[in-house]
Amino acid sequence: MSETTLTFEAAMSRLEKIVAELESGKLSLEDSLKKFEEGITLGKTCREFLDRADVRIRTLTVEGGAQVAEGNAETDADGE
Amino acid sequence: MSFGEERIFAVGEINALVREMLEGEFGFVAIAGEVSNLRIPASGHLYFKLKDASAQIAAVCFRADARRLDFDLEDGAQVVARGNLTLYDAQGSYQLVARTLEPAGRGDLERALRLLIARLKEEGLFDPARKRPLPLYPKRLAVVTSPTGAAIRDILSTVKRRFPCVEVLIVPVQVQGEAAPAQIVAALDAITALGNVDVVILGRGGGSIEDLAAFNDEAVVRAIHRCGAPVISAVGHESDVTVADFVADVRAATPTMAAEIAVPERDEVRARIAGLERAAGLTLTRRVDAARRRADALTRSYALGQVRGRIEHSMQRLDHASHRCARAAAMTLMHGRAQAGALDARLSGLDPREVLRRGYAVVLDAAGTNALSSAGDAIRAGEVQLLFHDGAAQANVTGEARLRAPTLEASS
Repeated sequence: MSETTLTFEAAMSRLEKIVAELESGKLSLEDSLKKFEEGITLGKTCREFLDRADVRIRTLTVEGGAQVAEGNAETDADGE
Repeated sequence: MSFGEERIFAVGEINALVREMLEGEFGFVAIAGEVSNLRIPASGHLYFKLKDASAQIAAVCFRADARRLDFDLEDGAQVVARGNLTLYDAQGSYQLVARTLEPAGRGDLERALRLLIARLKEEGLFDPARKRPLPLYPKRLAVVTSPTGAAIRDILSTVKRRFPCVEVLIVPVQVQGEAAPAQIVAALDAITALGNVDVVILGRGGGSIEDLAAFNDEAVVRAIHRCGAPVISAVGHESDVTVADFVADVRAATPTMAAEIAVPERDEVRARIAGLERAAGLTLTRRVDAARRRADALTRSYALGQVRGRIEHSMQRLDHASHRCARAAAMTLMHGRAQAGALDARLSGLDPREVLRRGYAVVLDAAGTNALSSAGDAIRAGEVQLLFHDGAAQANVTGEARLRAPTLEASS
């Protein structure tokens, strides 16, 4: 399992797929259990991702070539 | 020399006749000219002269019409005024009562715009089939707009409120003026070059057709079309539509709405996850119960002797499975409790409905706010609500039933 490398979107669609598979009733009991446990782990991963509270803001300055400047933008500094 | 009866008019009478001629003969007219002697008294009506090199005409624009102007009228402005000619009795002078005023050349602008739209449409740039779907859960959102405008503030505060687990990449550009189109094109192409942006908002606040010119620029429209990520246009307020809106993958009426379209609501996503977990838990419980019933039946069966070993083994596996299931279900429940009650209310609109559709019901307390998870709770509550997939029913719990555990039909 490599949940840490999954994007949130991929984790969510994996979780949805697992629930659909479980509900299809076509899995063996063993497989159902395995999928269920994977689903619970995925749910936990997704929830943890959602709990991250702060928006990361960066500014891309375009002059000739593209450059990405790290750090918070000025608009974010005026205490919103 | 006049020998006949000479007709002598009263002043008011001749004015009235001239007024009748003026109003009848010309009707609604459009007059192009330069504004001069503009006066705006406290009444809010605009008084000015329209002039060209050698002539002038008095004009008035009453407050109700003046309020609808979308540009600043000032002396020296070249305008097209539309309205009716009438006579101002008090001075015996005639004047234009202007109903609308627009900067000269706007008509040409609108014509050029219509041609551009027709040409790009013919080329297929606005084809609904090529509109890209937006990602459900974007990781990186780029915002191409003025760094000092209201649009960026609205977008950032909306994203912070709804889905703060996203990265916002601000690409500052001028949104009006001569440099604007080239800057917007460069910004969109830079986003494509980065390759890791999931969705783009291109926006600015409202304005006149002249202010919005960059969003009607063909180069900008084409840059939106070839952008590597889906683009949400958010130009102006609801009434302002630009060519950028036609070519964008999604059109939002305002920058705030663009942000609402770009990112989901975090609590809704949490509710969705909880709903999925709950659905998984219910399905698994049903699965294990069905398997146990089958095993019980086998145990009692005639061919017991031959298969005893196998059955004992699978009973053991089942016990193990039940244990894992119970533990996992407890985990799910703990998560569920941690969520607020409001979340639970929302949940009923999500996945559990699928479960309810298969013949399950949820037992709630009389107020319908808390789920009752044990027979004891239901008996203590007395009056309960039963939540089915299509609505709720009221019920009275009369006492404990004989049956210890639910029996379910083995479905597989």
